[in-house]
Amino acid sequence: MYTQSITRNHRAAFILVIDGSGSMAETLRFRGRTTTKAEAVAAVANDLLFELLERARRDDGVRDYYDLAAIGYSGDDEVVPLLPGGRKMMRVSELAELEMPVRTETVEHRLPDGSIALREIPSPAWIEPRAAGQTPMYQALAEARDLAAAWCARRENAESFPPVIFNITDGEATDCDGDELRRVAEQIRALGTADGKALLINIHLAADESGRTIFFPTEEEAGYPNRYARLLYDCSSPMPALFDAAIREVKGAGALPPFRGMSFNASATELIAMLSIGSISVKTE
Amino acid sequence: MIPTLPIFLRALLTPDLSFRTLADACAETDAKGVPCLMRTTRFAEARIRWQGCCWLLSMPLTPAALPHIERTVLAVKRLNTPALTDYRILPNELRWTDAAGEERTCDLVLQRLPEGCDFAEALLRENRGTLLQALDTLEKELAGLDFAHNGLKAENLRWSGGRFVPLRYHDAQIGGDRRRDAEALETLRRRIAEQGETSAAHDVAAPYEPVRSLEGHRWTSHVFEGLICVEDDTGFGYVDTDNRPVIASHYLWADDFHEGRAEVETPTGMGLIDREGNYVIRPEYEIVDYKPARSVAYVRKGGRWALFDYLGRQQTEFGAINECEP
Repeated sequence: MYTQSITRNHRAAFILVIDGSGSMAETLRFRGRTTTKAEAVAAVANDLLFELLERARRDDGVRDYYDLAAIGYSGDDEVVPLLPGGRKMMRVSELAELEMPVRTETVEHRLPDGSIALREIPSPAWIEPRAAGQTPMYQALAEARDLAAAWCARRENAESFPPVIFNITDGEATDCDGDELRRVAEQIRALGTADGKALLINIHLAADESGRTIFFPTEEEAGYPNRYARLLYDCSSPMPALFDAAIREVKGAGALPPFRGMSFNASATELIAMLSIGSISVKTE
Repeated sequence: MIPTLPIFLRALLTPDLSFRTLADACAETDAKGVPCLMRTTRFAEARIRWQGCCWLLSMPLTPAALPHIERTVLAVKRLNTPALTDYRILPNELRWTDAAGEERTCDLVLQRLPEGCDFAEALLRENRGTLLQALDTLEKELAGLDFAHNGLKAENLRWSGGRFVPLRYHDAQIGGDRRRDAEALETLRRRIAEQGETSAAHDVAAPYEPVRSLEGHRWTSHVFEGLICVEDDTGFGYVDTDNRPVIASHYLWADDFHEGRAEVETPTGMGLIDREGNYVIRPEYEIVDYKPARSVAYVRKGGRWALFDYLGRQQTEFGAINECEP
């Protein structure tokens, strides 16, 4: 299970579900600087898309290793596709063919005298920061569930690596209670292919005075003081044992599985690095 | 731990904050200022300018990527041949903060990109005979070096100084099966043959013949500190500029002299010698890597590194330093 290489013959699907609600205007510490949740969410989403796009790149262009979807939820219970052209799902090569939107990212660094300096660098920006209205997370996850179900039902995907759904949020759903959210998450996790069940990864971004980050938490680590933490932990997929070694490399050898597919105030882009994307054309080992 | 591609991208844009050795490097970017990345099976790659030259800088995409090339990196250094281009690992080169807030480093791979053009451009600029002859020369050179590249496609060849120089040795093997290379070269020959003759005027084609002023050796290096490293039937040694033996050719491998020291390899291990051939560091170690700029040697035994000074005195315990400096 979860051993299928992601290739053009066995494509995968990555679905980003992105919170753009009003609470995203709040600030938090993220990557060492104070920023809005909306900026942090956009940074995480764009990092994920960039990682996926570049991992599909070869010298003959971007290969169709996977299908991508990005769903935003915000406003007056709006759930909208965020990829260019309003497409619900597109092949990674289609995204690569379009001009990559770029915005300026500010990097903070410390000068030798201890003062802080800012530097602006260009950065991919398919997803713009948004902060408006409600948080229809249930609807968005239901939309992701339907997209994943349709993808899994296609014959060519029957043996593929299962869909991976990233929900990037501060956790404050307004269109459901905790049980309803757990239920739709369970429905997503019940989908799958012959290679395994779909993986639902929750990336939780929230204000936290300690400035800590949590990455693939264990049961004990899920108890950090945020009222939505436990709910998102319950909604997240248990990580397959296949990833344990790679996760322990990130967390430290002292971390003991099982781990959950979740992060707190941190990107989960590292997960992409743990997947086997592209076939090994030359085996010389 | 392997960094993500956005981390590599940001590092290329902020080299002074992110790289240890390449702090003044400048990445090749697109019109919007975003570095152009390419990837192979195991590495993501960017072109950079550094120290007045063009280089390919590669970040591993899997934990297995670097162990896979370590032997090749050492072998390319030992071969010291113009047929191959500089290919090295820069230990702990990339610094970043991981998702859990920990400071991390990652080794990167640096390869010199010789001046010149790529295969496709050479196809337009040069005549078929010249290119076919250059492929023949390359095949002979690689066979002579017992070097199996395992990825000799057009994208991995650089046309430079009237010859093809292979790039990206990520799948290369010393002593490996060269059938894959032979097949790849045949494909390239067909591609050249299918290409119509260019209409541009050309210089008279001339085969690549390196100047050999020192006779009687299988291979010669260049003059370093008055001595030339040579390979004879009995092994590597050193001669002076009049081709008189100075240090007998009995080493399995030897490097050029720098600041009066040279790395050598014997059946019992690697060591460091002075200009008289005396051992400054006994030949009993896995790796001896002398750094002339700092007059120190990084020495590995049992997979652990220690620092030795210019006189061969051990300065740290093995394991006290993490890895060899670049």
